[in-house]
Amino acid sequence: MTDKVLAAPSDLSPFAEDAPRLSDALTRRINADPESVERGLAQLVLTVVELLRQLMERQALRRIDGGSLSDDQVERLGRTFMELDRRMEELREQFGLTAEDLNLDLGPLGRLL
Amino acid sequence: MTAIARERDVALVDLVDRLLAGGVVIAGDITLAVADVELVHVSLRALVSSVSSLERPPQP
Amino acid sequence: MIDVLAITDAGVTVDPPVVAVPSDGVSVLCTPSNGDGVDADALWRHEELLEGLMKLRPLLPVRYGTRVPDEAAAAAAVAGRGAELMARLDHVRGAVEVSVRVRTAAPAPPTTAEHSGVEYLRARTAASRAGEGVHEVLEPLARDCRLLGGAEPLRAAYLVEHDDVDAFAARVRELQGEHPELAILCTGPWPPYSFSEAAS
Repeated sequence: MTDKVLAAPSDLSPFAEDAPRLSDALTRRINADPESVERGLAQLVLTVVELLRQLMERQALRRIDGGSLSDDQVERLGRTFMELDRRMEELREQFGLTAEDLNLDLGPLGRLL
Repeated sequence: MTAIARERDVALVDLVDRLLAGGVVIAGDITLAVADVELVHVSLRALVSSVSSLERPPQP
Repeated sequence: MIDVLAITDAGVTVDPPVVAVPSDGVSVLCTPSNGDGVDADALWRHEELLEGLMKLRPLLPVRYGTRVPDEAAAAAAVAGRGAELMARLDHVRGAVEVSVRVRTAAPAPPTTAEHSGVEYLRARTAASRAGEGVHEVLEPLARDCRLLGGAEPLRAAYLVEHDDVDAFAARVRELQGEHPELAILCTGPWPPYSFSEAAS
């Protein structure tokens, strides 16, 4: 496949900071104490799932507002999201996390969710 | 890390941005495989820009 | 289960394992789901597959990870959207997506604690203006664009004619030369992820 970089600064470091972490995260190279990692991981995992859930819900709502879905599709989507919401609650309880625990503070970027 | 590997990693961020926040969203009887555990290990920093994009309406 | 990859014109032929499912005036390109985990290699393989398909026909990539039980479900998922999708396909025909991101180049020199907040905001404002400047130069070179938002001075997707990509990249390199205080990253060509849905 072609190299995807069409133009780049001679010093890639302003862009390189995210990249190794992303690459490592995708290949799950995580070295740390298992117990603390598990809860931290659960927080990370659930935050991202919650993020995706909100992303998907927002997309769905936009589509519903646009009127391009049948009543049946709307109903099924609604039920799917209700189910997802319920599952998220169960998972949070399982790991002893509150909804606010998933709302990570990113400093100047504000809260995640 | 070689220069080429670094460039590929940097391009990966652009790829993930697109895979997560772009593309046609189809409705109906679908399963979103992105909810699988592997993908949710993705770095939050790469996702932050995807989240921010939701807060601003796309420019025409 | 099958993965839904992309939407394309009706009546196309594709090589296995990809199948083209006709529906409502378009084709839904699908491939059997496999047990691949989601890691960088899997994402690049997915991308390579789409780019191969894109060489011969316009594509609207479908959201990554979309999976349906069978071809009938794939067709049903798109039913009723044919006209909209055909219009999007025409919009991207012959063009590809190019990503441009702008950040500030070197870390700002250390500032005194009492003014560091103001300095920070000043630097952010200058960077933001510079980002807008870059966008103003590039926008006329593209068929369409999307400002993707975020904390960076510029994070944008441009829909560029396939034959104009080299000239576009050259213009980005020129801009980089004119702005050593910025770091400008241009990647692509990508399938038109950011142009697959109409701007709302």
